[in-house]
Amino acid sequence: MKIAIEELAGCSGCTIAVLDLHEMLLDVVEKAEIVYSPVIMDVKEPPEGIDIAFVTGAVRNEENRERLKMIRKRSKVLVALGTCACYGGVSGLSMLSSNAEIFNKVYRNGATVGEDGKIPSGVPPFTYRAFAVGDLAMMDYYITGCPPKENFLREIIPALIAGDSLDLSRKSVCSECDRKMGSVEGWKLKRRYEGVPDREHCLLGQGYLCLGPVTFGRCGASCPKNNVPCHGCNGPSLDILREPCRDLYNMMVRRISDLTDHKEKEIEEELYDVAHTMYPFTIGSLIMEDKENSKIRDLVKERSL
Amino acid sequence: MKEITINPVTRIEGHARVKINLDDSGNVDNAHFEVVELRGFEKFMIGAAVEEAPRITPRICGICPTAHHIAAAKACDEIFGAAPPATGKKLRELLMVGQFIHSHSLHFFMLAAPDFLIGHDAPAAERSVLGLVKKAPDIAKKAIEVRKFGQRMTEAIGGKPIHPSTCIPGGVSYPLAESKRLELLEMSKKSLETAREGWNIARTILDQTDLSFGAVDTAFMGMSDNGRFSAYNGEVNVIGKDGNPVSAFSGADYLNLIEEYSEDWSYLKFSRLKGGDYYRVGPLARLNIVKEMGTPEADAALAEYRSTFGEFTQTTLAYNMARYIEFLSCCEKAVEYLSDPSICGGDVRTPVSGVSKSRGVGIVEAPRGTLIHDYSVDEEGFITDCNLIVATCQNNFGMDRGVEDVARKVVSGGSLSESAANRIEMVIRAYDPCISCATHAIGQMPVDIELVRRKPER
Repeated sequence: MKIAIEELAGCSGCTIAVLDLHEMLLDVVEKAEIVYSPVIMDVKEPPEGIDIAFVTGAVRNEENRERLKMIRKRSKVLVALGTCACYGGVSGLSMLSSNAEIFNKVYRNGATVGEDGKIPSGVPPFTYRAFAVGDLAMMDYYITGCPPKENFLREIIPALIAGDSLDLSRKSVCSECDRKMGSVEGWKLKRRYEGVPDREHCLLGQGYLCLGPVTFGRCGASCPKNNVPCHGCNGPSLDILREPCRDLYNMMVRRISDLTDHKEKEIEEELYDVAHTMYPFTIGSLIMEDKENSKIRDLVKERSL
Repeated sequence: MKEITINPVTRIEGHARVKINLDDSGNVDNAHFEVVELRGFEKFMIGAAVEEAPRITPRICGICPTAHHIAAAKACDEIFGAAPPATGKKLRELLMVGQFIHSHSLHFFMLAAPDFLIGHDAPAAERSVLGLVKKAPDIAKKAIEVRKFGQRMTEAIGGKPIHPSTCIPGGVSYPLAESKRLELLEMSKKSLETAREGWNIARTILDQTDLSFGAVDTAFMGMSDNGRFSAYNGEVNVIGKDGNPVSAFSGADYLNLIEEYSEDWSYLKFSRLKGGDYYRVGPLARLNIVKEMGTPEADAALAEYRSTFGEFTQTTLAYNMARYIEFLSCCEKAVEYLSDPSICGGDVRTPVSGVSKSRGVGIVEAPRGTLIHDYSVDEEGFITDCNLIVATCQNNFGMDRGVEDVARKVVSGGSLSESAANRIEMVIRAYDPCISCATHAIGQMPVDIELVRRKPER
C-alpha cells in the first residue's frame, strides 16, 4: 500500500493535519508506505503506482496544474484533502482582483516596496483564475475542512488504507452545536466584533453572521463552542451541494428570514463584505460559481473593475 | 550555460527550488534560492472587514497559523482601541508558547534532525521522520508526544490546533476551563521532561558538522521583553553585523527601518534595512539579541550554547541549536503558566464598539522570526491597505547567499550528487523557511535544485 501527499497552492496545514494523527501515525506507517510527501520527506517526484494519493491546496499557477495532472496519472485513488482542494479555499479570494493588480500591489504598491519593484517573471505563471482540484481532474473522494479535523481523520485514514467503508455524519455545523435557539426579537445584523455574545443561545439568533446552517459539519462546532461565529471553513453543507438552486448566500438569507420574520430583501440590505464573510473559502470553486443564484460571479466582476 | 535544479526543496514548508548556474568549465557561476508561488493576501484582504483578518490570515501558513492569528488580532486591538485584559493577554501568550512547541519540535525532530541523526548522505527515502521512526523509534515517539502537547494546547485555547479562531479584537473569545488546565498541566510536565532529555541530542547535533556551510554576515532583528526572550511582548531590536545595538522599534515605526524588494526569479520578496544592510530573523537572531531566556533550564542551555558560539554568532547551522533552546524554554513556560489557576480567569475580553484608529500594526515573534501585520481601515473598519512582513522574506537573502556558498563547495566537475544537493538543502532547512508564509503574497515550496551549463558560444 503506497501513499502520497501532494501540495498545491495552500498552506501545508493539511499535511500537518495528517501529522496530527500523532501516535496513530506509527500504525499508519506500519500498514502503508508513504512514498512521497514534500513537506516531510526528500523524494522529489511522485513515483508510479501510488495506491492512494491525497492532494492538498488549490490550483493557482501552471505548476500546480501540472502537478495535479501528474499525481492523477500516478495514483489509483486520488483524494481531495481539505477545503482548498475541494473548493479553492482562501486562494479563491485572489480572484477579487486581476492577476496584474495582485502583482502590482505585492511588488510595487506596498508600504515597504518601491514603485519600481520587479515583478517576477522566471516563475510559474498564474492561471487566469483559481480552481478547486475537482474542477480540473477526476477525484475519487473529497475530505473537507480547513484543515480536516483530527477525530475525523482518525476514522477516515485507517479505513481508506484498509479499503473499508465508513458511515460518517453528513450534517451541518448546527447539528454539532450545543446552543439553544431562545427568542429572537428586534433582530439586527451585528458585525462579528460587536459586543460579547451570550454563550447559551444561537449566535445567528443574536445577530451574528454565523454560517453554521450552511456549512458542512464534522468539526464539532468548535468555533461556536468558543463563542466565535462559524466562518464556513468546512465548505457548503450537503443540501447546498446537492441542490442547484441552493447557495451559501441565498440559504443564509432564507435562514435568517425564517428565524426573524424579516423580509429577505431587508436582510440582504444589512449584509456587508459578502466576499470575506460568506465566501472566503469557496470563491475558487466552479461548482459553487455555477449555481444559478451564486453571488460569486458578481463579486468577482465588481472587484475587478 | 548549464543549470542544475533541485526541485522541489523538501522537508520545508511550501514550495521552492534551487537553481545553480555553471560557467563553461563546470564551476558555479551563481546560485539562487527561488520560490515559485504567491497567494496574494496583501491584495485580497483589501475590502475585508478587519475583524475577519484574524480568521483569514492564519491560512497563510498551516505550521504557524497561531502567529498570524495573534499578529492580526493585535493589529485589531489597536484599531478598535481595546487592549486585552490580564487573562486574555496571558492566554494569547500561552497560545504562542503552544505554537512554538509544535513548530519547533516539528522542525527539530521531524524536518531537520533526520539530516543529523540519520545522516545527510543517507538515501532520500530514509532521511525523514519516517526514517527516524525506524532508526530511533524512541526519539520519534517522544517527538510525536511533545508536538501533540503543543497542538492540544493550541486546540484548548484557540479552538482548533490548526487555524485557531478564538483571538478576537480585544482579547480571547472564551475562558480556559479548569479541567482543561489540569489535563494540559500533566502533558506539559511530560513535555518538559522530553525537552530536557532531547537537549543531550541537541547539544551535540553540530559536533560532526562543518559550521562554515551557508556562512553569511548580516545584521539581526528580533523581539525581546526588556532583554528577555518573548514572542508576544516587547520592542523589536535590531543589532548590527558586529552584534552592537542599532535601534529598536514598535508598531508602525517598522516603516522607518525596513524595505523590501523583489527579483525576477522568485515570488519571494527580500527584506533589508533601509540603508541596504541585510538582516536575519528567527531563533539565531533572537538568541543573539536577548540577555536571558527567563526560564532556568533554557538559561543553562543558553550559557552552554554561548560557550561554544560566543555571545553573538553568525553561524547559520547554529539556528538548529538556538531553535532547540527556545523549544526548551517554551516547555518550561507552559508548565509555569498552567500551574497558575488564574489562567482560567474570566477576564478574557474587552468589549469592542467601533473603530478608534485608522491603522493597526500587530507584531509577534513567529517561530521563524519577526512577523508584522499592518492594516489601514476606513471609519467603518474595512481594510483599505494591508502590508505583511513575514520571517521567510527577511531570511531570503541569507538563504539565497547560503545556497551559493554551499553550491561553490559541493558542485564538482559540473555535477551535483544527491547527497551534495542535500547539503545545500540543509542550509535552507536551518532557517526552517515557510514558503506558504513567504508567499502570502500566492504559491508553492519543496526545493528544486537546478544546474545550468552555459552553451559554448559559436
